[in-house]
Amino acid sequence: MSNPVVELKHVTKVIKGKKIIDDLSFTIEEGEVFGFLGPNGAGKTTTIRMIVGLMGITSGEIMICGHNVKSEFEDALQHIGGIVENPELYKFLTGYQNLMQYARMVKGISKQKIDEVVEFVGLTERIHDKVKTYSLGMRQRLGLAQSLLHDPKVMILDEPTNGLDPAGIKEIRDHLKKLTKEKGMSVIVSSHLLSEMEMMCDRIAIIQQGKLVDIQQVHDYVQDSKQKYFFEVDLKKAAAILKNLPISYKRGENGIEVDLEKEEVPDMIQFFVEKGIRIFEVKPLAKTLEDRFFEVTTQGEKVHA
Amino acid sequence: MHSLIVNEWIKIFKRPGTYVMIGLLVLAVIATGTLNKVYGEQNPTVNPQWEQQVQQQIAQDQKQMSELPPTAATYKKNLQRQIAINQYRLEHKIPPDNEATGWTFIQDSTALISFAGLFTIIVAAGIVASEFGWGTVKLLLIRPIKRSKILLSKYLTVILFGLMMLVILFGSAAILGFALFGTGDGNTTHLAYANGSVVEQNMLLYLIKTYFLASIDVMMITTMAFMISAVFRNSSLAVGLSIFLLMVGGQITTLIATRYDWAKYSLFANTNLTQYTDGVPLVEGMTVSFSIIMLLIYFLVFQLLAFGVFTKRDVAA
Ligand SMILES: Nc1ncnc2c1ncn2[C@@H]1O[C@H](COP(=O)(O)OP(=O)(O)OP(=O)(O)O)[C@@H](O)[C@H]1O
Ligand SMILES: [Mg+2]
Repeated sequence: MSNPVVELKHVTKVIKGKKIIDDLSFTIEEGEVFGFLGPNGAGKTTTIRMIVGLMGITSGEIMICGHNVKSEFEDALQHIGGIVENPELYKFLTGYQNLMQYARMVKGISKQKIDEVVEFVGLTERIHDKVKTYSLGMRQRLGLAQSLLHDPKVMILDEPTNGLDPAGIKEIRDHLKKLTKEKGMSVIVSSHLLSEMEMMCDRIAIIQQGKLVDIQQVHDYVQDSKQKYFFEVDLKKAAAILKNLPISYKRGENGIEVDLEKEEVPDMIQFFVEKGIRIFEVKPLAKTLEDRFFEVTTQGEKVHA
Repeated sequence: MHSLIVNEWIKIFKRPGTYVMIGLLVLAVIATGTLNKVYGEQNPTVNPQWEQQVQQQIAQDQKQMSELPPTAATYKKNLQRQIAINQYRLEHKIPPDNEATGWTFIQDSTALISFAGLFTIIVAAGIVASEFGWGTVKLLLIRPIKRSKILLSKYLTVILFGLMMLVILFGSAAILGFALFGTGDGNTTHLAYANGSVVEQNMLLYLIKTYFLASIDVMMITTMAFMISAVFRNSSLAVGLSIFLLMVGGQITTLIATRYDWAKYSLFANTNLTQYTDGVPLVEGMTVSFSIIMLLIYFLVFQLLAFGVFTKRDVAA
């Protein structure tokens, strides 16, 4: 894991006298999914634009596979595929013609490769239709296909799940998993949806007001010993019984949320059964980063205030 | 570079507007051809007394010239040129070609070059600005290709498109002209007046040269439109300003030139290079090399602005 594919060194961006990004440094290793998290206006898109060379870097430098984005643009960008915000494609061309446009811009992309990528994103049936007839989900898929044509080492996706339905979001997640597992690609995703990020990412950086506030392995807190479980039970009855016990719980909709270790779950169920409380459903709640996120960002705000 | 131009070419030709432009251009040629045929003078035979006529014309011109005040230098030069050409006709027995032929129709169709230019300007104005408008510029510029290369491919595509429009104009004028007016009496030389003497030129070469020279102003304005498009990312501004200048730039410059010498530094004073071969310079003392240098300077300024701004600017579309 000592092979950074993307490296940001003290990157700062000033637009019209305003510091949008302030001394940002981090590295992305081979094969990892790196989440870029922050509230609206934090500077996620700006950072991504600098990585792909759409925006100039005021100071600091960005290296991609050892190539400086500024001075070795062509060598650096060769390793990058991406979507910046919504994938805007040529509406008057078909999906295939769009891919051909991008295929012509890099040497050695065969027709076979195009078909393969189209197949991968599941767009084979509609690929010869004009893009203006595509739904948002299909355009996202085409955007993804476009970024995969030249087998990049790094994929950069700015809010890839924006406007997608849950099935679409899951699909993107599966795609990313496949890409990192099968091709060893690294992925940078930005989002302000926390729950989504923790399902996709290996590591998450939280930025706020252009500053890096925290960077963590997702793993660290998801594999925490305790996890939140949701019990769908009669709320009133359960509350009455739990009141007298040293268990902290939270009232949810139609049930309660309790922090438990895995081993404690059967005990809890048995306990409810013994007390005559009917259980309709028990499920682990994906432990969200939300608390952590708000904890960190509100701290950040206090510092600024 | 080749594949980048192919890309741009496809983007132009996958839009129906392009075919409308080509159709309108051909239609304009057909319309002028038909009007000429229906309302033009039917004068198929050469007047047997043409020599007498030409002599009369010379005498008349000479008389007029002697009566002119010395300030009317431009007009005098025009008369001089007319007299010289007419004298050449008498000496070499070349009757005046006032007869309408396919050749003259092609020549008259140079009037439609600004029409072809109009469409080229529209393409030039849109080729960078629309990428910003569509938002496609983001995916275009994150390829491993330098921005300057992408911009150059766009400029070359515009020039190719302009050439294509010229070829379509020339070709349709030739086909229609020869079909409607025939090839004339086979006399396919053109008489040009330069440096005080008359020279004969091959008609086809002369016409191609005429088209080329008549396209210089269109070329320059197209380059300007392209620059505005790249700098301001706004195609309406580029189209509006460029077409305005295409329409009235020449007249305004001529107007200014009657009063002020500095008019010779303006773009439009220099775009008409035929003023040195088949006419007289707009401002006394202007030479071909002066004009070519001025054109080059304008061209370089436009390109420096376009490339300088486009390659540096942050893309936040
Ligand atoms: N071209 C620009 N000119 C001036 N300010 C800008 C420009 N682009 C971005 N900003 C500012 O930079 C800050 C960061 O914007 P950015 O788009 O990077 O945020 P983001 O993290 O992507 O937010 P979101 O979650 O809403 O997409 C914002 O305060 C924004 O107003
Ligand atoms: Mg954003």
